[in-house]
Amino acid sequence: MRADNDSQTILVTGANGQDGAYLVERLVGENHEVHGLCHSEDGAVRLREAFPDVTAHVSDLADTAGMIGIIAEVQPTHIYNLAGNTSVERSWQFPTETADVLGVGPVRLLEAAWKLQEKSSRRVKFLQASSAEIFGDTLEVPQRETTPRVPVTPYGAAKSFAHEMVGVYRSRGMLASSAILYNHESPRRPESFVARKISREAAKISLGLSDNLTLGNIDVYRDWGFAPDYVNAMITILDANEAGDYIVATGHAHSVRQFVQTAFAYLGIEDWERHVTIDRALYRPADPKQLVGDPAKLRGLGWRPSVDFEELVHIMVEADLASLREQASIS
Amino acid sequence: MTETKLKRAFVTGITGQDGSYLAELLLSKGYEVHGLIRRASTFNTARIDHLYHDPHESGARMFLHYGDLSDGSRLVTLLESIRPDEVYNLGAQSHVRVSFDEPEYTADSTGLGSIRLLEAIRMIGLECRYYQASSSEMFGATPPPQNEDTAFYPRSPYGAAKLYSYWVTRNYREGYGMFAVNGILFNHESPRRGETFVTRKITRAVARIKAGQQSELFMGNLDSVRDWGYAPEYVEAMWRMLQHDTPTDYVVATGTNYTVKDFLQIAFEHAGLDWEKYVKFDERYLRPTEVDALVGDASRAQEQLGWTPKVLTPQLARLMVDADVEALSVSGSPWIDTVYVP
Repeated sequence: MRADNDSQTILVTGANGQDGAYLVERLVGENHEVHGLCHSEDGAVRLREAFPDVTAHVSDLADTAGMIGIIAEVQPTHIYNLAGNTSVERSWQFPTETADVLGVGPVRLLEAAWKLQEKSSRRVKFLQASSAEIFGDTLEVPQRETTPRVPVTPYGAAKSFAHEMVGVYRSRGMLASSAILYNHESPRRPESFVARKISREAAKISLGLSDNLTLGNIDVYRDWGFAPDYVNAMITILDANEAGDYIVATGHAHSVRQFVQTAFAYLGIEDWERHVTIDRALYRPADPKQLVGDPAKLRGLGWRPSVDFEELVHIMVEADLASLREQASIS
Repeated sequence: MTETKLKRAFVTGITGQDGSYLAELLLSKGYEVHGLIRRASTFNTARIDHLYHDPHESGARMFLHYGDLSDGSRLVTLLESIRPDEVYNLGAQSHVRVSFDEPEYTADSTGLGSIRLLEAIRMIGLECRYYQASSSEMFGATPPPQNEDTAFYPRSPYGAAKLYSYWVTRNYREGYGMFAVNGILFNHESPRRGETFVTRKITRAVARIKAGQQSELFMGNLDSVRDWGYAPEYVEAMWRMLQHDTPTDYVVATGTNYTVKDFLQIAFEHAGLDWEKYVKFDERYLRPTEVDALVGDASRAQEQLGWTPKVLTPQLARLMVDADVEALSVSGSPWIDTVYVP
């Protein structure tokens, strides 16, 4: 029985994102009072449509007064901070904005939550969606919670700063945890991310709607998991009695090439090379070498991923097939 | 006679301890020095007033510009018009204890100030060398001795913000090929150190107790171990980093370790006083999370830059006491130390 977790007033930032939507869905299902933060009115409308029981708020992590106001109004017992740009690419274009939202944004929230805790003498639990990108060029494979951080992108540097600040607030006595999330995918992943791009295009090719898939470097290895499993991990971490950092990963690395192969094989296409073009313009200037996480500590809390790599690819391809068929039948 | 082009430097944090010594050093080397100062209703230029000449006078080589590290567009405007050869980013909210009370401001100035400067340089396409004032506080809880390969473990908002600046400086060097370096400086003190920093707080109190103007000194943790060097020698290391052929990061430290208690003892003894009679404990001066021991290994700076510290902690404590005694004797009129050359 988790006494202090029974009646939760929860604030979720980034509630409209891939993870945010899965998280809100689960929390609402557990009858918690859920507040979602969106950074536009359109976003708030979408959130209310999807989840009528959720209170939608409009504000921005870059706005200090807004954050203080939200925390004072909602008086949350639990905060999940998922908001912000998730594209590494974009962080080279907008490094200052990235730092302000992904780096200082969590500090605005943490400080407001810390003040609320001090004033109310009631614990405020905080979960930061940290990222494998903080490990960047580390030589340690697989990475653990104690692996030194070597961010190689403005995105990684900003996430790393937030990660350190969560640690600072934790050592001051706040139940603040970081979930160090490795790549996690789902049918809700936007097509700008490679996994979804592959599942979508492979499904189109199999239906004769397209005949080519253009990719960058397909020999990079990533540790891919299923987003709903990672959302479960976040809840497991925040509900634990003690705060800490946790690697959220499967522990297995697969290349983009394997993802492509598995997707096409599921669709009955063995000669996938015929459909794939490699474009060197899509290679990135700097990319982490091998990000694979060791989730041993999180397993200690009882967490297990529900799907493996092959099943993840199948789920995504199946979902894209279904949506393409539906579109075709409507038109 | 050939006319060599005057080198031009842009210094943020020029009104601080390091900024003032650096400006002095650069002027002595013939640089034109441009400093960024924050506009305030009170004067905040006491440390550089002795270097300043009215820009209307011929031969003036130090120029001050209003601006702030939080104002990115102002930085672009200034860098575009000054077009410096060297940029030294020393500006920051630099107090560790204060960073716990002002985490957001610290993140914005100490952390994001660097990305605004780096991005301004990149956008303009300025071919300049960039120095980032990194700090031993980035090591935090990692045990000593610390060098350039030591893992970071910051324990304060100040340390975390400095670490962010460290990484983006490296990212811009590696990603864009910029000449951008981090000087990871361990504690460095001087008669110009701010009065709320522990060393200066001690030496100032010694002078005042000696003069009968004070009878007690309230202190926090006396057991912290630090590696204290002499600030003018550390700004020399900064300059050398930017003159080197290849950009890389350097630890700057003396490699010695003393406790706060040691510093107290040396400073009081130098004035013929027994510290235990005057020092009282006040928990308000404790940090929410302490950094126990910072001791640097500056081998790389020694090998590649030929830099060695000459003034070690005991001598530093004594020269700071002497300076505070002297400053007190002329209090009310402007006074500034001259750099001590061993």
